[in-house]
Amino acid sequence: MTNKSNNGFNTWQKSFEKETKKNFSDAKSETDEGIDIKPVYTRDDLENFSFVENNSLPGQWPYTRGPKASMYTNRPWTIRQYAGFSTAEESNEFYKKNLESGQKGLSVAFDLPTHRGYDSDDDLVMGDVGKAGVAIDTVEDMKILFNNIPLDQMSVSMTMNGAVLPVLASFIVAGEEQGVDKSLLSGTIQNDILKEFMVRNTYIYPPEPSMKIVADIIEFTSKEMPKFNSISISGYHMQEAGADNVLELAYTLADGMEYVRAAMSKGLDVDDFAPRLSFFFAIGTDFFMEIAKLRAARTLWAKIMKNFGAKNERSLILRTHCQTSGVSLTEKDPYNNIIRTSYEALSAILGGTQSLHTNSFDEAIALPTDESARIARNTQLILQNETGVTKTVDPLAGSYFVENLTEELSKKAWDIISEIEELGGMTKAVKAGIPKLKIEESATKKQAKVDSGSRVVVGVNKYKNPKEPSVDVRVIDNNRVRDDQIKKIQAIKKSRDTKAVEKALTNLTNAAKDETNLLIPCIEAIKLRATVGEVSKALEQVYGRHFAKSLSVSGVYGKHFEGDEEFMKVESKIKEFENLNGRRPRVLVVKMGQDGHDRGAKIVATSFADMGFDVDMGPLFQSPKDVAKDAIENDVHAIGVSTLAAGHKTLVPELMKGLKEIDPKSKIIVFVGGIIPEQDYEFLYENNVSAIFGPGSNIIESAEKVIDLISDNLSKE
Amino acid sequence: MELVDKIIKGERAAIAKAITLVESSKDTDQQISRQLISELIKKPGKSIRVGFSGPPGVGKSTFIESFGSYLVSQNYKLGILAIDPSSQITGGSILGDKTRMVEISKNPNTFIRSTPSRGTLGGISMGTREASIILDAAGYDFIFIETVGVGQSEIVASNLVDIFTLIVGPGSGDELQGIKKGITEYADIFIVNKNDGELKMEASKTAADYKSALSYYKKLDALEKQVLLVSAIEQTGMEDVIKTINQIIDQNKLKGIFDERRADQLEYWIEEEVKNIIASDITKRLTSKGNIPKYSEKVMKNEMSMYEAVETITKDTLKQ
Ligand code: B12
Ligand SMILES: Nc1nc2c(ncn2[C@@H]2O[C@H](COP(=O)(O)OP(=O)(O)O)[C@@H](O)[C@H]2O)c(=O)[nH]1
Ligand SMILES: [Mg+2]
Repeated sequence: MTNKSNNGFNTWQKSFEKETKKNFSDAKSETDEGIDIKPVYTRDDLENFSFVENNSLPGQWPYTRGPKASMYTNRPWTIRQYAGFSTAEESNEFYKKNLESGQKGLSVAFDLPTHRGYDSDDDLVMGDVGKAGVAIDTVEDMKILFNNIPLDQMSVSMTMNGAVLPVLASFIVAGEEQGVDKSLLSGTIQNDILKEFMVRNTYIYPPEPSMKIVADIIEFTSKEMPKFNSISISGYHMQEAGADNVLELAYTLADGMEYVRAAMSKGLDVDDFAPRLSFFFAIGTDFFMEIAKLRAARTLWAKIMKNFGAKNERSLILRTHCQTSGVSLTEKDPYNNIIRTSYEALSAILGGTQSLHTNSFDEAIALPTDESARIARNTQLILQNETGVTKTVDPLAGSYFVENLTEELSKKAWDIISEIEELGGMTKAVKAGIPKLKIEESATKKQAKVDSGSRVVVGVNKYKNPKEPSVDVRVIDNNRVRDDQIKKIQAIKKSRDTKAVEKALTNLTNAAKDETNLLIPCIEAIKLRATVGEVSKALEQVYGRHFAKSLSVSGVYGKHFEGDEEFMKVESKIKEFENLNGRRPRVLVVKMGQDGHDRGAKIVATSFADMGFDVDMGPLFQSPKDVAKDAIENDVHAIGVSTLAAGHKTLVPELMKGLKEIDPKSKIIVFVGGIIPEQDYEFLYENNVSAIFGPGSNIIESAEKVIDLISDNLSKE
Repeated sequence: MELVDKIIKGERAAIAKAITLVESSKDTDQQISRQLISELIKKPGKSIRVGFSGPPGVGKSTFIESFGSYLVSQNYKLGILAIDPSSQITGGSILGDKTRMVEISKNPNTFIRSTPSRGTLGGISMGTREASIILDAAGYDFIFIETVGVGQSEIVASNLVDIFTLIVGPGSGDELQGIKKGITEYADIFIVNKNDGELKMEASKTAADYKSALSYYKKLDALEKQVLLVSAIEQTGMEDVIKTINQIIDQNKLKGIFDERRADQLEYWIEEEVKNIIASDITKRLTSKGNIPKYSEKVMKNEMSMYEAVETITKDTLKQ
């Protein structure tokens, strides 16, 4: 007998309606994904599934309940903390300390110059060396990075996509020179370029050659490195950029399909490489949704791979790394972040992840300190050792709610995947810029919900801490790191066989002109001590460098504020301004240096435009000098610098200098938003920055301050 | 005027401020702007003004980046006025052209200004003509004007330039029926962009469609209209574009068409200015007299017919 026709349910419903004074059918809450969550789920909600199978078991088709039969009861997930900063020497020290304290695998965060294929001595990366990751210029740096870490025993994950060829080559050569054959190396290379074009922004070459490089790496590793994951197909960055869970799920799996096709087009059999494809998801604050997402991902991937004709069971199984959400963490009242991260970690575990990174509470301030990293790691150690969550496999199986949610998510994601397939696949969609725009739309909606207060963020828009604690931050002196790196590069360039290096680089350039697997000539060049920058340039000669064409959403933010008093107040200030000055307030929003975090800049730009500003949107990776030229030619009233990768202390003074160089009397005011540790405020104000807007700033309030500052500045004339 | 000297010296900030003045809706700015333009017009430079028009997304900005890079590599100075189709919902706009002109915007020999279109006819904003006069005086060899082409607008845009170019995409041949009438008279060059990759076949076909359609409209005394195939992304076909532009300019100069056009444009400009002044004067009078609400109420109450009202108001307004 079903529940609905059962008297018990009717009685429940009556009680519910009496308690809440609401109709049961109206008592739903809509998630960001557009899924209606009911106040209660029953056995009826397990029916009519087309993806989830009710009686499946862990390690069995369709793998909803986990990739393995025993899961954590046999071996807990791998605690794998993502880290890297400054020089290889300092990161190596940090890794060793972490491993002694219970961390199990390594995950390398490279700095932005390395990501984008520039050496530390390149003028373009002045503010970025060692700031947001570790600087690797040559194989010598890579060897230092793993000094006293035996690469035949340690599994190493590397987040590298743009400069994936020279970096993977360096890793292979570093292993070799440690005495470890490449066949014994274990770990993962991210090698997921499609999401770079969508959200992560550390691409180098245009989409087509980039996809060829991905396929080259899958081909090489599938033949030569049997313990190494050739790719980590990542949705994580999409959610961090603002995607809801359906978008994250659908785009990630659609990316995966594209990589499978790319590898198959090299003549590989699907079962030759599919077992070594791995995934990466973000785990946000929506507790049950995140659990359902991991379960849905496994379910859908099994189906997708079956359609590709996979025969090996291991090809059907989705294995994943997860990271708790950084964007859910706040600068305000930062100790709350420990609590958020704990819940997210539990979600990831209940969802059945294979490895996990937990964020530090100072996430929205700077790179973690030793102390904050310790707490982050302990979050997992406590889960593993004290809570008992490892004792049962997939404990939420059979939950009416979680199973139903798993099915709902699967359905919604499948629809999007089918749409993309009809359009001709993800590479095409990405080139047209559609997924990026959808993610930005979703991000803008989320911002509007927080700014309007309809979504509570504790300590930010409600329950604010009257006494904000001050926390220690990790400070990196990028000038010192840069000098150190330059010295090392110079020494290597002196001692190496220049002729041989040049020849190896020419070989590489030539190889890029035909179908040769590029990793092989790369390894040759790296062995001879060619730098990451030189290798990247050798390929750039053939492929060129990719510049993203950026589109913008409009009207999404404003729509949330129809009739809102604060919003209308800014609108009317702008109208007043226009009447007085003959034009609207005009603001140039920019990203300088290699910092590719564009979520904030895009959201601020579209929201400001919705309020009535004229907003000039600069491209990514501008130099301060170029920004100054743009600003002056367009005669903007103000420049809004969005900076998240810690380049501000170098780049902002350069911008000020650039403005004065073109126009000594320039009246353009500059304000700065993004990740600015409080310790840097004074420095920026001394450099004539007019205002600073940190994480969690309400955009309407920021806009009002900006228009006031512009008006004040004009009235001084 | 101090500003005039600075512009002629090519000072970037002065040029920018001057463009702000000519775009401003403030009365006092407009007065200064008129003075400024009168001064600058006396000191003409040698600029060739080229218009690039076409539907959104055909690759105008990308083409200008590509073609512009080619020109600056040949040591030309290049001024660009990009009229950005702005969002109309709220009045504010996001000006994103610069994300498509990354390379040329770095070059010291370029000056790039984006302006929100504000929905004025032809995507030409108030002040575009004046802005090109400023850039001309400042010594730019070429002035590019990028506008969104929608129906009527090309006519307005073509009135500001020496050469008018329509950029179209592969597969747009089908739309030819709709646009060929007016456009052939105004456009000197048709550029079929995106002649690359999978789109190549379609692009060639489109170029052929244009060629055959245009052959019907060939004017006897004018140059044959040119149809060119380019890829902005792969930077191919750029030499052809500059060659064609130079050819047309030379021919037009030779035949006197070049000066004739400029004279026509001056006439048109004067006419426009006069109309504008009259129109704004009339608007002022209309509002101050309050006749419109008064008489429409009478019409509503059936006290007089619509046309009687119009006639009465017109007479009353024009009366000194
Ligand atoms: C989302 C995110 C990402 C996404 C970025 C997606 C995207 N397209 O933007 C992904 C996952 C791709 C990513 C990658 C990396 N990230 Co990240 N990322 C974040 C995270 C979690 C949130 C940033 C965010 O988008 N917030 C939401 C937006 C809306 O907020 P916002 O930008 O702060 O903007 C608000 C205000 O600051 C202000 N504002 C900002 N700009 C402007 C401009 C104007 C004009 C105005 C008025 C206001 C204003 O108003 C906005 C609204 O409130 C932060 C940590 C955190 N919690 O802040 C780390 C963080 C910025 N990332 C970091 C790092 C190191 C990286 C990597 C370099 C890691 C690596 N080594 O590979 C990569 C490389 C990325 C790259 N190409 O640059 C570090 C930087 C360290 C530092 N500064 O010292 C941080 C701080 C995390 C940490 N503590 O380690 N990241
Ligand atoms: N394949 C191809 N795409 C192009 C070319 N030129 C522009 N595009 C793409 O067309 C889109 C619109 O370009 P944009 O210059 O902004 O067009 P505009 O609106 O006409 O200025 C972008 O996605 C460009 O990458 C080209 O030559 N070939
Ligand atoms: Mg454009």
